[in-house]
Amino acid sequence: MPNIGKMEAREIEELFINVSPTQAGGRLTPEAQKAVLSYSDGYSVCDNCVRPFRLDYIKKPALADFHVEVAEWLNMGIARVVPGARRGFQAIANSLVEKGDPVILSSLAHYTEYVSIEQAGGIPCEIPKNEKNHITAENTAAKIEEVIAKYKKTPPLMYIDHVDYQFGNLHDIEGIAKAAHKYDVPVLLNGAYTVGTMPIDGKKLGVDFIVGSGHKSMAAPAPSGIVAVTDEYADKIFNTTKVSGDVTGRKFGIKEIQIIGCSLMGATMAGLVASFPAVKKRVENWDTEVKHSQIVTDALTDIDGTVILSDNPRQHTLTRVNTKDSFDKVAETHKKKGYYFSAALRKRGICGIIPGTTRIWKYNVYGLTDRQTNYLAESFKAVAEENGLPVSN
Amino acid sequence: MSQIGVDAVFQAMFLLTDMRELFRQNAPFHDFEGEDKEKAEKIIEGLKKQIAILEKEVL
Repeated sequence: MPNIGKMEAREIEELFINVSPTQAGGRLTPEAQKAVLSYSDGYSVCDNCVRPFRLDYIKKPALADFHVEVAEWLNMGIARVVPGARRGFQAIANSLVEKGDPVILSSLAHYTEYVSIEQAGGIPCEIPKNEKNHITAENTAAKIEEVIAKYKKTPPLMYIDHVDYQFGNLHDIEGIAKAAHKYDVPVLLNGAYTVGTMPIDGKKLGVDFIVGSGHKSMAAPAPSGIVAVTDEYADKIFNTTKVSGDVTGRKFGIKEIQIIGCSLMGATMAGLVASFPAVKKRVENWDTEVKHSQIVTDALTDIDGTVILSDNPRQHTLTRVNTKDSFDKVAETHKKKGYYFSAALRKRGICGIIPGTTRIWKYNVYGLTDRQTNYLAESFKAVAEENGLPVSN
Repeated sequence: MSQIGVDAVFQAMFLLTDMRELFRQNAPFHDFEGEDKEKAEKIIEGLKKQIAILEKEVL
């Protein structure tokens, strides 16, 4: 394997089918790989930055167009780039949340949502999931009422995960947003697992903010992401600096406070922009991705004792599975213990499942070809059969 | 300044990136057949051209 100093070249994606839950949607397109090669130096996208000296005004490369196109694509008013979805949460929370404010979020939310609330001084208030691991409009309304009664104020913000990272379940955003708006609570959609993989229409969903992750679902290098807001909130979220130095009198033009001026000034930005045409195209193939997800899920359920913990039929490529009564049974007596499972898959050219895991685990089949999908499905069954587990079909 | 030489470096890297993508699409089998084999041949042909340009410009 070639080395870069003491660091090995990463050849995972070239040698294996990688079903890591977090890495699938962030694999770069060849266009992004080329852009990263070309724009690898520090402030590489800033060669032609002229007045008013802001990233979203740069015309060459076409960053200005990219910002406009992202907003249009999501059917929102205005968009900005940020170093990861978490920085999008931060920008919105810092704009809307005051110290001591209760902030609503899903009980399936990612930790970065909680921490962004904490950083803004807010108090996270969780909407309970139902027995099917869904956040419902009904539970949302009940939670908001409970919070208003307890804190004697309306929450300034609600976060909701389009697809949650725990189960990969798709939630009823339209219903949930309607419920929140009845109480005048603005809605932030966490689209880390959906922006860039499946079609999204912000207006149809009825959300006020959309946050997406470049490295999770937009085929871009980390850390990158986007934040899109409705026209109604544009000035509030993207307000510009007003301060000046008390000695020098220096002012800072039209730098936006929450973005801290410019955000992605090099390879991350170039990758995001270069992948964008392919990303816009690939969301139209979402049905195929879901079909692939179902093929693998069906194969796993053919193995006796395996239980799919996510919604089934699948509506997303990220799936959580319980194999305590199948693969984990083998681990009890296998000389390699639970490591036999990932080792057997690796021998077949499959990686991305945490070594040693045989109880509850997740996989993501996003971006696989038909051939890779079928091979993955058959491989799970073959590993089961090799280890004496009953397999139907 | 050798614009031609530098262009050849980038063209070669981009062609290698296309080859990298072929490996990705065919992992873990890497048994290039049909359309993929044609693509691979085209890439290798293109690479040879870029190497020839570099030899002419640099050596």
